[in-house]
Amino acid sequence: MSEWSWVTLAYVVAYGSLGLFIASISMRIRSARERLEALAPEQQG
Amino acid sequence: MPSEIPNRSWPWVAIGVSAAAALILAMVSPADAVQGELVRIMYVHVPAAWLAYLAFAVTLVASIGYLFTRNLAWDRVAASSAEIGVYFTGLAIALGMIWARPTWGVWWTWDARLTLTAIMFFVYIGYLALRKTTDDPRTRAGRAAVLGIVGAVQIPLVHFSVVWWRTLHQPASILRPDGPAIQDPLMRWALLAGVAAFTVIYLSLMVKRIELHKLDDATYSAEVSADRPVAGASVAIPDLEQGPGDV
Repeated sequence: MSEWSWVTLAYVVAYGSLGLFIASISMRIRSARERLEALAPEQQG
Repeated sequence: MPSEIPNRSWPWVAIGVSAAAALILAMVSPADAVQGELVRIMYVHVPAAWLAYLAFAVTLVASIGYLFTRNLAWDRVAASSAEIGVYFTGLAIALGMIWARPTWGVWWTWDARLTLTAIMFFVYIGYLALRKTTDDPRTRAGRAAVLGIVGAVQIPLVHFSVVWWRTLHQPASILRPDGPAIQDPLMRWALLAGVAAFTVIYLSLMVKRIELHKLDDATYSAEVSADRPVAGASVAIPDLEQGPGDV
């Protein structure tokens, strides 16, 4: 592999994993909001 | 004038802008006389390692804060920072392996710095696992705070391992007694931009991760007040005194 290939691999890993981490937090926030909203009507009832 | 960006989105925008700026600087900086183009891996590997230290140091401070005040806000900070710290430690290890293969000829070696970083990684995975052992926020916060304090012992161990032991890993690049090892100003700026960008990314991730923690706590409170079984409490201990036919 050329030097640029290793550099590209490193940046794909760094930025790709960051994107996945952000996506996971974002999805967890969305599902937590949905769960909380689903609980709210039950409590009001 | 109303803001174009919704309040909840600004951390994502901050991450995008800082990551793009760091990437541009890393690509326009010159190649190294010895390492060639491979030196560009340093601009993501070193910031990832620094942010791991910062994240675990914040977990330490927040854990102490919780034990002194018993305020769950400190626990939210400690837990969020530990999770992000685990991500940055894993990233630093992965990038270090990618850098090691073409420069050292191996993906991994049982060098003091590498081994201690791996141990730190697994200890903080243990911290996150410990938090899953109970749903009660106060019990969880107390247990986690103790490990958050004890685990931080590893931060100086990892950082000074290249000084205290003979290692294959290179010593510090910037913070060293005889001045920075990097002479080229553009390379120094590229590294500083990487550290600054990763710090912004860390802070933005913290804002979102703490928001998630608050939502989880609110869900727990709502479930408890609604007298519903909380997550993890759905498995009851079987009554062994009772025969199958008695059910």
